[in-house]
Amino acid sequence: MPSDERSEKQAAAQQAVDILHEISTILNCHLDRRSLSICISMIENGVNPEALATAVKELRGEVQQTQIEATSSANAPAPRRR
Amino acid sequence: MSQDRNHRISNAIDSLINHLIPSNPRDDEQTAQDRHDACFQIVKSIIDEPPNPSISADVNHASDLIKRKLIQSNPSQALRFSNLYTRLLSLPVLSQKWAILYLLYQLSDSPDPSEPLPLSPLRQPVQRAPPPPRFTDKERTSKNSTPATIPEEDALADAFAPGGLKKLPTERPRRSLEEEPVPAQETASPKKDARRDVSLKSMLLADNSVDYEPSETALLRDLPFTLQGLSSTTLPFASDTTLKLPPTLPPPIISLLHTLAEPSLLYRGLSTFVKSPARGLLDQSLRAAISTELRSYLTLVATLEGQIRRALSSLDANAPRGGIGKAGVTLKRCVVWTREATMGLRLMSLIAEESNNKRGGQLISLIHGFSTSHGDPVVAAFAERLLADVTRPFYDILRRWIYDGELSDPHLEFFVREQSPNDEAQKETKARGQTSVWNSKYEVVDAMVPSIITSDFAQKVFLIGKSLNFIRHSCGDSQWVEAYSKTSSKELKYGDTATLETWIDEAYKTTMQRLMKLMSTRFHLFDHLQALKNYILLGQGDFIALLMESLAANLDRPAGAQYRHTLTAQLEHAIRGSNAQYDSDEVLRRLDARMLQLSHGDIGWDCFTLEYKIDAPVDVVVTEWGNRQYLKVFNFLWRIKRVEFALQSTWRKCMTGSRGVLQSDDENVLQTWKSTRGVLAEMIHFVGQLQYYILFEVIESSWTELQKNIHKEDCTLDDLITAHTKYLTSITHKGLLGARRRQYHDSLREAAALGRETAEAAEDRNSYMIQLSELLRNMLAYRDSVDGLYSWSVSDYTRRQEVDAAGLMRNANRHESQYHHDGGDDVFGNVAGAVKSEFPALQERLRQLGLTFRTRLQVLLGDLAYQPDVDMRFLGVSMNFNDVYQPVRRKSKSAAATSVAGASTSGAGSASAAAAAKA
Repeated sequence: MPSDERSEKQAAAQQAVDILHEISTILNCHLDRRSLSICISMIENGVNPEALATAVKELRGEVQQTQIEATSSANAPAPRRR
Repeated sequence: MSQDRNHRISNAIDSLINHLIPSNPRDDEQTAQDRHDACFQIVKSIIDEPPNPSISADVNHASDLIKRKLIQSNPSQALRFSNLYTRLLSLPVLSQKWAILYLLYQLSDSPDPSEPLPLSPLRQPVQRAPPPPRFTDKERTSKNSTPATIPEEDALADAFAPGGLKKLPTERPRRSLEEEPVPAQETASPKKDARRDVSLKSMLLADNSVDYEPSETALLRDLPFTLQGLSSTTLPFASDTTLKLPPTLPPPIISLLHTLAEPSLLYRGLSTFVKSPARGLLDQSLRAAISTELRSYLTLVATLEGQIRRALSSLDANAPRGGIGKAGVTLKRCVVWTREATMGLRLMSLIAEESNNKRGGQLISLIHGFSTSHGDPVVAAFAERLLADVTRPFYDILRRWIYDGELSDPHLEFFVREQSPNDEAQKETKARGQTSVWNSKYEVVDAMVPSIITSDFAQKVFLIGKSLNFIRHSCGDSQWVEAYSKTSSKELKYGDTATLETWIDEAYKTTMQRLMKLMSTRFHLFDHLQALKNYILLGQGDFIALLMESLAANLDRPAGAQYRHTLTAQLEHAIRGSNAQYDSDEVLRRLDARMLQLSHGDIGWDCFTLEYKIDAPVDVVVTEWGNRQYLKVFNFLWRIKRVEFALQSTWRKCMTGSRGVLQSDDENVLQTWKSTRGVLAEMIHFVGQLQYYILFEVIESSWTELQKNIHKEDCTLDDLITAHTKYLTSITHKGLLGARRRQYHDSLREAAALGRETAEAAEDRNSYMIQLSELLRNMLAYRDSVDGLYSWSVSDYTRRQEVDAAGLMRNANRHESQYHHDGGDDVFGNVAGAVKSEFPALQERLRQLGLTFRTRLQVLLGDLAYQPDVDMRFLGVSMNFNDVYQPVRRKSKSAAATSVAGASTSGAGSASAAAAAKA
């Protein structure tokens, strides 16, 4: 019985992530499923969404920086993350 | 618990960083770890900041934000979002849905982290597409400069998708845009399209769109001026209705500018309209309302200008397209912002244009039409707003009208209007004598009744104002009107129709009550009506009898010998001698006797008339036309009365005479007298029936009807006038004086005066009036003949007396009866023969007249028998109750008339009968 409940819950969570991912696609958020589910779990744990958004942007800035460095230093193609 | 939470968050941050920050294969472990730590610190510090209080924990708020954003950028996606959102809400697992949505909102349209690789896959290429190529096709022909009357374009492709614009400007050679910029784009696109990706195409197009002169920033800088209708260097107004666009712009921009030119040009047109002189109060208020709307439009433009300024000042000159995509204010955006205002301007300019040939109520109807029957709720609401301002002067006029009874409408905009004296229709009614202060001072112009009020309502309003005006000016009761307007005057406004209606109803009731009260108490309207019936319609029998008796001798003389003072003296005598003396002074002093216009050969009877003088304001009810009707009825009744009077006096003479002077032993004479008495009795019966019919069946029943109508609870003056007119019409119609015959009536009287040339009048074969007057004349002639017979009989009697006396004397003298017999013949034979010779002529004439009378009566009865009106048929029945007459149908009348005419040698009827026979 508990396993049933659990799988049910998981399915629901899966569904929620699906929906939210679609919304994020509509909104051009550039979030993949993995990062999205991380964000969701953080928010469920009470993280302030505005702060989280800032954090994600910050991290992205970081990424770009690395990439520019990478492209300038070497001609190697940037790793694809998606 | 808190520990646990923190731990979980830390874990999550860890995995997030791991996921987002790519591991650089060339970096060693240490660097990667350092970077990871640094990132972790940053994230941690950001997250641990105290939450911003500005966000409310409301699911709907976040979703609203997203929805709004999507509607601006991509409506179809917005729909999809709503679907997803409802699904999300139904899921039970998440507790912080709003927060997640808010996060997504915050992250939305964020630059792709995988930038700046130009070939990186772009997520939403659709959004970045430039305006669809159909515009280029359409606008290419008119690209140089066109008056901007373009349809609203689909400006929703947001300029806010700057994904492709972040790229550094490539050094593309500047194309001269005058020559073929469009094909360049078009040829470029399919090629790229075929080769790779849609996103590429859009990016390349975005690159292309950079190169035009004047730049979008310059256009944006000038745009506020253009929107205010001012010329600027890049966008000069060529004339009042054209805006010159720079010829160097690519078609998409041109089409955007077309859209923006519309409000500019409309504003220009409207501001000139506002400044143009108004032709009326409503025009003026319309201009005021429009200028208020224009002011709010200018406020919008000012806000827009502020936005543009701010955006332009923050522009990065090095960025592509002047970095305008980032600043958030673009031409497209301006199009969107001015969209609603453009709708308003469009509507106003439509109204302004229409108002040129509409005025007053029509103008209100026009705007009201927009507000009630336009499908677009925006337009309807706008028109409604406009209406509240525009109708203000109208309601002012209305207020003055229904509370003061004054028409303060200098520009003829109200639906009530003073009648112009040279109006065709009015002249006509004036000619008919039906005009009065009441119904010819003001009129309702149906075309001017605005659609905000019903026509029923308008009629009520009209009546209220008219009554007040009438009370004030004609009844001289302005005090009451002023008091009334002070106590009950209310501010009328567009909006709650129900309240307005109750007020109007109230005002209506009050004024009508007041008016009726004034009419009955101060102006004794009902007394006057009663008096008219008593004196003019011969209701007061003793008075009329006395008047006729005392005037009879006088009136037998020619009309020229009638003097007014004798008439008035006799009238006074009749009043004093009858119950009329108890009537109020108010009534009696209006009664007057006078002569109608004399014509040659008239005797007093033809010209005498009683008159009842009506003055203002009662003449509103008893109009000039009504007075004429009364006079007509009076004259007719007076003639009948006179004939009756004459016949009866003759009858009396005969009756008394038959006991003395008329006794004779001549069989022939006795027979003549007998038949004469028979005819006389017939005539008296006829006149009696006729009188009874008119006085009782017609006048009394109409009077009852009138009384019933005018004593109703909610009777208005209009009802009163209608009821009175109906009363008079029914009297004249049923009283055999039908309106159809009226024009003949006058000519008849004239003709009768001019030697009884009734030929034309007799043409009207259906005229009862003519038939009756012929009958009456016939009776008078008969009565004259009877009088002649009477005097012959008297003289015969005298002669016989004399003969007897002479015989006696001779007997006494000579004592010889034998001799007497012979001698008497000898001596008086000549005299007797001379007297006797009149007898056959008289006899013949009496017979003839009696025959004519009978024929005419039968014709009349024949006509009456086929009347649609029951009362008139009844008259025929009561005249011929024992079937002594054979009613003759009209058709056979000419034959009968010919026989009469052939047999007759003299008589009034022969001429007309002959004429009828000819016809």
